[in-house]
Order: sequence, then structure tokens, then C-alpha cells
Amino acid sequence: MPELMLDDPDGTLVMLRDSVAGFAERFPGAKAMREKRGLGGATDPLIWSAMAEAGWIGLLLPEECGGAGLGLREQAVLSEALGRALVSEPIGSASVFAATLIGGATPGAERSRLAAGIVSGDVVAVPAWISGAKPLVVHAVSDNLALSGEARFVDAARVATDFLVVAQDAQGGMLLSVPADLDGMTMSERAGIDGGAIATVSFSDCKVPTDRVLSRANSSEDLLRQAILHTRLALAAELSGLASKALELTIAYTSDRVQFGKPIASFQAIQHRLVDMWIEADLAAAAVGNAVEALQSDDSEAAQLAVLAAKARAGDAAFSICRRAVHLHGAMGYTDECDVGLYLKRAINLNAMLGQPEQLRLEFVERESGVGRGRTYG
Amino acid sequence: MASDWNDIPDEEFRSTFREWVDQNCPAQLRYMRKQRPLFNEVAEWYHALAAKGWLAPTWPRQYGGMGLSAAKHMIYVEEWGRLGCPRIPDHGIGLVGPLLIQHGTEEQKAHYLPRILSGEHVWCQGYSEPNAGSDLASLTTSAVLDGDEFVVNGQKIWTTLAHCANWIFVLVRTERDAKVRQKGITVLLLDLTSPGVRVRPIENLRGEADFCEVFFDQVRVPMKNLVGKVNEGWTVAKSVLGHERIFLGAPTRPEYAIARLQRLADARGAFEDPAFVSRFARLRLDLYDLGSAFERYAKVLRAGGELGADVSALKVFTTELYQRITEEMLAVAGEEARFADDLAAGDVEIDAMNLFLDSRSPAIFGGSNEIQRNILAKAVLQLPG
Repeated sequence: MPELMLDDPDGTLVMLRDSVAGFAERFPGAKAMREKRGLGGATDPLIWSAMAEAGWIGLLLPEECGGAGLGLREQAVLSEALGRALVSEPIGSASVFAATLIGGATPGAERSRLAAGIVSGDVVAVPAWISGAKPLVVHAVSDNLALSGEARFVDAARVATDFLVVAQDAQGGMLLSVPADLDGMTMSERAGIDGGAIATVSFSDCKVPTDRVLSRANSSEDLLRQAILHTRLALAAELSGLASKALELTIAYTSDRVQFGKPIASFQAIQHRLVDMWIEADLAAAAVGNAVEALQSDDSEAAQLAVLAAKARAGDAAFSICRRAVHLHGAMGYTDECDVGLYLKRAINLNAMLGQPEQLRLEFVERESGVGRGRTYG
Repeated sequence: MASDWNDIPDEEFRSTFREWVDQNCPAQLRYMRKQRPLFNEVAEWYHALAAKGWLAPTWPRQYGGMGLSAAKHMIYVEEWGRLGCPRIPDHGIGLVGPLLIQHGTEEQKAHYLPRILSGEHVWCQGYSEPNAGSDLASLTTSAVLDGDEFVVNGQKIWTTLAHCANWIFVLVRTERDAKVRQKGITVLLLDLTSPGVRVRPIENLRGEADFCEVFFDQVRVPMKNLVGKVNEGWTVAKSVLGHERIFLGAPTRPEYAIARLQRLADARGAFEDPAFVSRFARLRLDLYDLGSAFERYAKVLRAGGELGADVSALKVFTTELYQRITEEMLAVAGEEARFADDLAAGDVEIDAMNLFLDSRSPAIFGGSNEIQRNILAKAVLQLPG
């Protein structure tokens, strides 16, 4: 099945894939997803700490603050493997996004605390930066900061120890880490399509100590862009892995299912559908590989384009492959007990995160040649 | 001249090749509208390449080729396309040469290879028949041994450039009752000036005749024109295309078409229409991702690897993308899509209709896209038969 093809001179990437496969045997993705749903969307702390133990959380953190010093190549391979294994923990937001913000933050005690905690699994730092109806704003009040407003689309809010909030002050955006047990903070959760809960977190004049500021105006905006870029790549890889595995399951099912005296995968109508799915999965893997390579070049504009293309392609591929996978499983595919539906729901969630394909494509052509009226995210 | 082109760094090879081609490919032949010009229309360019020793990129040097590796060959093809050089009648260079080098006798190689390079022999490929297209193994053009000659009867069709060729390498049936249809097929080299051969050009949708019907009526072919063994021609014929299969999936045509679409859309104000921008963005990204996918296969070749059956995916995607782009051109043309000729777009003419019609064929030839999907289903997805 299509897979990322990257040079792997010292075998790190193979090792990562193997360790995800081993992890998935201990914590089968589909089972964990169903259990999480039963628990109202709470991330299982056992699973999260096992992932931290494996060294996957905060993988992108620089070595000087306790990270593994691994890069986007490794993150992409890890995310792809997690996607294949249907591990549904919020690795995009609570690891990739968070690590990019923290890694790029102003060095200091707070950054060090967060970094060390993320790596050990003691800290779950969850980005809360997308403003809801009330914009996130912050202003100085004597020795403290006062934070107000609401953040939407917050993953794993219930197990978060800290929120990574980007709020506006008079100068621009400010990144700060906010303790999750703050007075004046309320949280409301809604069920996500893939079983995880998605929260809106509201702050009402919450007092935050100034030593929790991680970066100030200008650099905060750059950091946010960087975090979006990295997370889109990781999501693309995860979607690409999902797509590839959903196709594999469908090939196995249709090769096994006998009607009219033959496996249904022997019928040309089915074969050509499967081939079209394979072509899309192959393109998705190629697009993600291209983005990984582009991010390692010096051309940052080319990297932006490549990541937009990869997230759009992998999102489209995963969503449409999973839709067809459900269909090709027949009535079985429409049941909750068949795993393929879980792949579909996971694909919908990740495809919708940080920009749907249409929006990303419009941003691509606008960036590349100035055509259209593409909106940018956030 | 270099002792071995493959020892030269890629970029140096690229610039050396590019510079010479740019200076020597006649200006009036660049960016020809015709996809398949006749031999006499491009003879000047053919002979210039031959004189330089650059006509046969992949033939070993001992036979007058450049002996390029797959990686260097890709550069050769890329630069050729980038400079807008016309396609030359290349069945001799691309198919007959490799066929004889792999399976021909020493005598055949010594006789035919130099005549391909000199342009004395212009070749065409006799595979398809009226009732043997996708199902090529059902071919019925027959060859019966009579003394030391085969007597050939039957008909070929879709024979590209047969009307400017003087030789054809032809698949014929030498055993009618073979249990496996692929057995009993033989490859012959046949002189098209022989008595009993008739060639009839067929006009295509673009109003050009680049393929033909070829009829054989009691045509006598000497035994020495047999390639490989009698009844084993299927294997011989299948072995010819190696890494060249990647070129069927090259993004060249959709790249050219989308540049034309952009010009036309600019001139017509289509980018003011969000619905068009959305459709354009999809096409643009499809092309961009095709580039990433092509690069993935090219990387395999550059690393000295061989292509698998999965490369068929490129052919399917690129040819269907080419179609979708040209369909969008007709949509942008609006009422003007009623015209047969080119459309004015500022100071350039856009051949929207020409490209639309041209884009019908690549999804059909070189193994139709349905056949490519069958190949992928069996060889890559390993689906049950």
C-alpha cells in the first residue's frame, strides 16, 4: 500500500514505524476509539503517557529544551503510522502544534517547564488559539495579566494541564500558557465525530502571572504560522496513513466476500474503483513526501505551497477513500461494529482541521499567482 | 566527446545537451502544433541529431547510441520538451533498436541499426488489428512459412506514421491453434515497399492523419527477418519497454495545457468568477501533485532501481488530468467554443479546441486507461482474477 518514501540512512524511520506497530498491538486504535466515545471523549491518560514514554509527544521539541531533536521527517513518518493504526489521540494539536509553539517561545523557566513536562507526559499543553464569539484579549493588571474571551476547537481540554493561548493585547498577539484550573475559566464540550470531545474554553478576566508569557507581538504571529504549517504537514501524513489503511481493509474485505460464486474484488467494476482509490492514496503519499522535502529546503515559500498541497490532497484522498471504503463493505460498512466507519469518522475530523481542501487549494493559487480570493486560516 | 555521459554530473549534462539542442534545433520546428510530424517535416532535425551522435539516447555506444542511464535519459527528454523540439518518428530509435539489441542476430544489428540512424529506414509498429486492440493476443494477421520465406496475410490498424515509414515490425500469428493465445505469435521485420502491402492513412478528430491501416496480401518476408524465435514473439515484444514507461505519465501535456488555460482565462476575465477559481485551483493542484508523484518514480530510476507496474498510475492520472484541463478551456471559451479554429487571447492565439481534441487520444493509446486499471488491479493490488 502507498507509504511515504523518504531516505532513511540510519534506520530511524523504520524504527518509528515498528514502534507504532508494537504500540498498536497494546492499544488497538479502533478499541480505544470506541472506549473514548463511551467515556464522553476523554483521552485515556494511560495511552497518552505510553505515547510520551515512546518519545512521540513533543518529538519536534529542540534538544536544548529536552526534546528528541528529531525533525519533520520523523514526525511525518510517525503521524502516518499513527494514522494507519487509527490511534486517535490528538497528536496534531497537543504534540505538533504545542511543541512548535513551545520550541519557538522565548527561552525561560516557563518554556523549560512546559517542554520537560510534555516530554515526560506530566504536562498536557493544549493549543487554545481560535477565537470564538468573544475574541481572546489580554491586558496588564498590576503584576498580572487579565485574560478574557473564548477559544474554540480545543482538543483534549479535559486532560489538559495548560492551555497555550494566543490573545491580543495593544501590541498584537501574545502567546501565554494558562493553567487549566484557573479561576474564572469555564469549559463546554461537544462530541467530536470520531469520539473525542472538542471544547470551547471561556476566560472571564482570568488572572495569569506575567511569567507565563511565552512570546509577544510579532514573534507570536510567526510562531502561530509555523505551528499551523507543521501541524498541517502532520495531519496530512496522518490522513495519508488513514487512507492507505482504509484501502487495505477494503481490498481484504472485497477479496474475501463471495457473491455470485466469486470474490467481489474479481469484478471489474469493483477493481477499477479500488484502483482509483489506490491512485489517490499514492498521490497523497507523494504529496506528503514532497512537502517533507520542501520543508527541508531553504525555500520557505515553496514549503508553504507544498504543505498546502499535501494537506489538501491527503484530506481529499482520506475522506473520499473512506467514503468508498464504507460503500464497498456493503451493509457491513454501515454498522458501528465494522472498523471502516471509524476510519471515515477520523478522516472527516482531520480533514476539517486547519483548513478543508477547497480552502487550502484557494490559498495555494492565491499565494502562487495571486489569483482568486482565497481566505487564509485564523 | 565524453567517454561516458553517465560519468558527467547531471547538471553539466543538462546544460551541455540543452545548449547544443537550443542552437541546433531549427526555430521553425519548435512548438509544432502537430504531435506527430512526418519524417520529411522534421528530417533536418533528425539528421542533425544523428550527425552529433545524439539521436539514440539509450542505445549502447557500440551501436552508435549515447548509452544513457535512465536518469540521464530523463534529463534528455525533459530538456527536449522544455525547448519545444518536435517529436521525430521514433519507432526505430525507441522500439526497433532496443528490440534488435536485445533479441536480434549480429547480422540484423549490423544491417538495421545504422540504417535507423541514417534515416534510410523509417519504422512503424504493427501491433493493433481491427479485432485485436486491448486484447492484443487475439491478433490474426498470419504468417505461413513457404520455403525460406514467410507469407503474410491480414491487416494492422492504428499504425502511427505508417504512411511515412518504409519498414514495419509486425506481430503475426504463426500458430493458429496454440493453447495459450500468447504463444504462436512471432515478430517479423517487414519491408513496406514489398508487393502486396497497402497503406491507408486515417484522419483523426483533429483533421490530421497520423495513423494508418496497413493491409498485407500474400506479402513475402525472408526468414532472416524473423526476430527471436518463431512463436515466441509475445515475450520479445513485451520486453522492449523498460524505464521508458515513465514517459507515458510525464506531466508535459497537462503542464502545457494549463498554461494555455491560464492565458485564456486571464483574457476572458474568468478569474473574477469564484466558481472558476475553485475549479482552476483543483486542476492546478492536481498538476502540482502529479509532479510530486512523477518525482517519486523518477527517484527510483535515478537510484538505479527499476519501475514496477505501479507506474501505470501516472499514465492514468496524467492523461485524465489533461482531458479535464482542456474541457475547462472549452467551458471558459463560452459561446466561442463553437468555433473550430483558435481563440484570440490578447496578443496570443489559444488552440483550445485543438488541445481538447488532442487530449482524447492519450487515454486510449499506449494501453487504454481501463487496461492500465486492470494491470494495477492484478499486479499492484493483487486482486483476485
